[in-house]
Parts: sequence; structure tokens; C-alpha cells
Amino acid sequence: MLFFRSEEHIDHWCTTWRMPRGAVLTLETCWRLAQAWFGAPRSAPEWRRRTVEETRAVFAELGLVGEFWELP
Amino acid sequence: MDDREVRRVVYEMAMRGGSPPLARDVARVLTAAEDDVVDSFRRLAEAHIFVLQKDAPEILMAAPYSAVPTPFVVHAGGVTSYANCIWDALGIAAMLHGNAHVHTSCADCGTAYEIRVANEKVVGEGLAHFSIPARQWWNDIVFT
Repeated sequence: MLFFRSEEHIDHWCTTWRMPRGAVLTLETCWRLAQAWFGAPRSAPEWRRRTVEETRAVFAELGLVGEFWELP
Repeated sequence: MDDREVRRVVYEMAMRGGSPPLARDVARVLTAAEDDVVDSFRRLAEAHIFVLQKDAPEILMAAPYSAVPTPFVVHAGGVTSYANCIWDALGIAAMLHGNAHVHTSCADCGTAYEIRVANEKVVGEGLAHFSIPARQWWNDIVFT
């Protein structure tokens, strides 16, 4: 997950490196994703990985829907 | 060897020191054999908790922390860390529940950018691009 200064720079990078254009998040959405994903300290004994369903719920809560965000 | 204890120590040391520790350092804290810690690292890697280095049984990634330099430098709580990606860079701030400065650059043109987290809000310009669809992330998590 890389950082870009603008949509045009994403397009240029994808063209240069022949990579498909994937999902673009604003920094605000990326921050909210980071909070949801890492807000609970992984040093806590009770911490565990989210289930697939819990992960789907996190994505949906943030509006990250569609084929790109589907999980196996 | 309790893998939860190993995970706890790894993350406590990463949060305190800025980087995932070596197996021998975890062994010292737990008063355990280094081989037992390495075995635990491998189990935790199989569970996708850590990512190990390709040719050594040491942690490469304990998300959001990277054990090696990356283009995502995070200053938070008096500690400097490398994050694995922009999501993880913000993740370090989220995990520490404090203010942070993220120094990175545009992956296309290299222009330096600073992103701040202040009072639980992100401040800065730019975008995060996820190239790989979610279902494929763990096919090659380092590339992802």
C-alpha cells in the first residue's frame, strides 16, 4: 500500500510499472482503517486476528465494498 | 513456549524500541531458549501474525512495524520506527494512541511528504493506493 501525491501520480505509476489500478483511499479513510485495524494493542494477551467476517465488517463500515475488497 | 507470550513481548519491545526484536532478545526477556523462540516465531508466521525474513528465522514484519528500513518513517512517542506501508505507518500512530509524524514520499515521483496525526486526526495531503485486491494480499504479503 503506497503513498501518492495525487490521482495523476497513481495513474503514472501504474502505467510505468504495468500495475493494475486498484483501490484509492483518502488519508482520512486510510487513518480510519488504521485505527480499526491497529487500535487494539497486539501486545494484549486477549488480542487475536479478526475472523473473515469481522474483517468484512470493518471494510463495510468504512465503505470499502466491491470486488476489490472481497475476501476468500 | 506460549506463543501469546512471545507475541506480547515482541509487540511491547517494538512499541518501546521502534522495531521488532531479534529472537535472542525475546529469549532473554522470557528467560527461554532461543530455539524455542524461533519455533514460536515460525508458528506465529504460519498464523500470519508475523512475517519472517526469507533466509533467517527473524521477524521481517510485525505489522505495523518493519524490522528493516522502508520509505515510511514514523516518529511517535519519542520513538522512530519504519512501517511496512502507508496503512501501517498510520497504524503505528493508532497503536500508540498518540501524535505522530510520518515522513514518506510519493511512490511515483519521489517528492517528500509529511503526514501528521494530531489529537486523533490525520493532517496532510495525498492518497493511499492499494494495488492488490484484498483476497490476494497474503499471496505475497511483502509485495502487497
